[in-house]
Amino acid sequence: MSTAAAVKPRVLFVDDEPRVLTSMRIMFRDHYELFFAEGGQQALDLLKTTRVDVIVSDQRMPNMTGVELLQAAREINPHAMRILLTGYSDLKSVIGSVNHAEIFRFVNKPWSNEVLSSTVANAAAAARASAAASVQPAKASPASTTGAPSPGVLVLDDDPTMPSRIQTILGNDFRVFGARTMDEAVGQLEREHIGVVISDTRVQDHPVVTLIGTLKQHHPELVSVILTARADAGAAIDLINQGQIYRLITKPIQDVACRITVNSAQKQHQRLAQSQELHQRYEVEKPAATDIAPPSTLKLMDRIRSLRNWVTGRV
Amino acid sequence: MKLKSLLSVLAAGLAMGVLAYLVKMTQTVDGALHEERLVNLRTVNNLDVELNRGFTQNRASSLTVANSDRAKISKDIGAALDRLDKGTHSLRGLSPQLDAALDRFLTTIDDKFGLGFDFEIRNTQFTQRLVTSMDAVPGHASTLLALVGPEQLEPVSLMVAQLKTEIVTLGVSPSPSNVESIQQLLAKLRATGEGQNDAYREALGALIASAEYALADKNELVSTLNNFLNEPTGEQLQAVESAYTDWYQSQAAIANQYRLYLAAFSVLLLLGLAWLGMRLRRSYAELDRANTGLEEQVQTRTKDLQGALTNLRESQAQLVQSEKMASLGQMVAGVAHEINTPLGYARSNSETICTLLPKIRTLCLAQDRALHLLTTDSSSEQEVAQAVSAAAAQRENTHAEELLGDIDTLLQDSNHGLMQIGDLVASLKDFSRVDRSRTDLFDVNTGIESALKICNNQLKGRIEVQRLFGELPEIECSPSQLNQVFLNLFTNAAQAISGEGLITIVTSADADGVTVRVRDTGSGMSEEVRQRIFEPFFTTKSVGMGTGLGLSIVFRIIEDHGGRISVQSQLDEGSEFTIRLPLRQPRTETLLAA
Repeated sequence: MSTAAAVKPRVLFVDDEPRVLTSMRIMFRDHYELFFAEGGQQALDLLKTTRVDVIVSDQRMPNMTGVELLQAAREINPHAMRILLTGYSDLKSVIGSVNHAEIFRFVNKPWSNEVLSSTVANAAAAARASAAASVQPAKASPASTTGAPSPGVLVLDDDPTMPSRIQTILGNDFRVFGARTMDEAVGQLEREHIGVVISDTRVQDHPVVTLIGTLKQHHPELVSVILTARADAGAAIDLINQGQIYRLITKPIQDVACRITVNSAQKQHQRLAQSQELHQRYEVEKPAATDIAPPSTLKLMDRIRSLRNWVTGRV
Repeated sequence: MKLKSLLSVLAAGLAMGVLAYLVKMTQTVDGALHEERLVNLRTVNNLDVELNRGFTQNRASSLTVANSDRAKISKDIGAALDRLDKGTHSLRGLSPQLDAALDRFLTTIDDKFGLGFDFEIRNTQFTQRLVTSMDAVPGHASTLLALVGPEQLEPVSLMVAQLKTEIVTLGVSPSPSNVESIQQLLAKLRATGEGQNDAYREALGALIASAEYALADKNELVSTLNNFLNEPTGEQLQAVESAYTDWYQSQAAIANQYRLYLAAFSVLLLLGLAWLGMRLRRSYAELDRANTGLEEQVQTRTKDLQGALTNLRESQAQLVQSEKMASLGQMVAGVAHEINTPLGYARSNSETICTLLPKIRTLCLAQDRALHLLTTDSSSEQEVAQAVSAAAAQRENTHAEELLGDIDTLLQDSNHGLMQIGDLVASLKDFSRVDRSRTDLFDVNTGIESALKICNNQLKGRIEVQRLFGELPEIECSPSQLNQVFLNLFTNAAQAISGEGLITIVTSADADGVTVRVRDTGSGMSEEVRQRIFEPFFTTKSVGMGTGLGLSIVFRIIEDHGGRISVQSQLDEGSEFTIRLPLRQPRTETLLAA
């Protein structure tokens, strides 16, 4: 790491298998200040006294799961980046890790040292950057909260009735725009000021993860919510790692939960729009080499990179 | 339905009642009684006639005989009258007209008896007086004849003789016709007294007087008898009879009327019965038809039911399969985590070692080079010094001791991890028994151990497992199924314990089989839950957490093995499952397909 910071980033590893901790210690000791805990409670006790930048936790541990630990850790220290290192993930824990723990990455066991190192490094960098941002008073905030109309919500779904349903649920708080293809979605993004994208996992039989990931990569202030009836753990993990989705909710839609989620997503969008330093916290993983998009999608991605609306929105 | 049958019973009862009433009404005219009554009336009539005859003929027979005859007749008549008046054959109370006629008749016949009695007394007196008068006539006649002149002796004696004959005739005849001739005779005799001496006149007077007495007496007697005979008993009895006949005929008319009603009613009843019969016949026909239809229906229903049963069996098999898949999924999740963790650090360690080794290699190579130069005569001093200082610098940089220690640790950990994976794979194999036949001799303790290893992920660090294993004989069973049972019980026990806890596993053997007890310190269950715990689809877990088939499958596996499973539980204290398995399987038993 070339960051010339005098103080090493602090990383906490939590796993009920001490040999995992040993491996971490030997692997990371040169670059980080390391803390270890063999269980959730021990980790929480440590977090109360020590400020860390990154938490890497196992999911399956006796008494407290990794998601439960990270959710509690978020309360104690929201600034720390959260990574889940797990041998097996069922859908429930994946959804919990998005919605409750707001994790940065999912890393599967067995892991590659290279991937884990870079993930931890990215997390540490993001933590450092956002910590610096939170120290400085936010100068742009008064200007942007007043005047401009509140950004809209884009609904990307095969079901043509979905946008109007969402509009009904949200009432007059936000304007809802609908799109049934990715092309339409990009068109809407070009024309309208959008803050939140609500999307199914697949649209017209194409996974949206590339679109969401590219959007997030180039326009980090855009917040995405996945609304789906056919979630599977693998797709959800990809959406977290490559799309930094903000929430994952399952159909059938529960009105209240949906409204709360969209409200909270809009607030997140405002925060991100005001502070570029925060963007790093939601940095996405580059899609794996195998996920090469078809040529038509590549063109789409080019359009995303040059979304006119973002240029105007940012001024 | 009940009301309908009650109504029909009521209708039948009513019909029978009406029938009985009508029959009774036709029975009011008793032919035999009627005959007896008529006979009685005839008897009274005959006796009355006989009595009359008795009175009229009394002079023909001796007095005493006549008297006793009459007494007998009177007695018979009295008895017959009593029968008319009272008792079963009486005519009393049948109709007012009859009563009046009867009363009249009875009064009359009473009077008649009175007259008869009177007559008898007078008859006796009269007879005596008549006899006396008649006896006096010949005396007076002879006296008279003695006094009469000879010129007149012939006519007088003729007249006297005629008188004597006439008087005797008077006395004998019951209704004398010679009263006038006697009076004429007496008038002639009286005429003979004119101009005769007093003695003659006196004698004539005495003769005429006695003859007149006899006449008077006879006259009175005859009038009394006539009074007696003139009592209208015959007519009145006739009236009684006709009144009775009237009544009888009216009764008969009523009875006839009722007979008519009865006939009409019977016809009605018969019609009703015929209708009922028709209906019954029709019902039977319908029943017959329904029966044949029913058989067909039963056949189709049976076919439907068989189809449904087959469907049910299929869907049950599907459910059991999906439950197996669900528990397999759970197991895979646990096992995947169990394997991925050691695999994770083993891989990471070998990668780390790969990054560490170049440092060691560089050091080694530097030291090797320095050593080589030191031990080579041809090397220059300067070369050696450079190499040694380079090696020393490397050594300074590398902290070889520490590095090697790390590598040792990493390799040891990796070894441990790989062994753990090996163990797990072995117990997976043990657990599934894929390499064994379905029915095998099996040590239950081994099965428990492999199941514990599979679910270790749910137990470790949280739940202590106490093994109280007895020496067990190998039992005949399907090992993979028993392992499934144990895994299910341990998983349930682990889920019942919310924090830390203890699972105690006790195994023991006796002559007949093997007993396994699994006790946990979990939440336990209520009696209500306990009773339903082996039912399919019964679950206390929240929706989506369990299909509720787990324990029902456990129950079936144990039953299929000819064993028993029971559970005792105390809420908030824990549960204990007891499994009892026989040593050998019955030959006919086919085990549940694994």
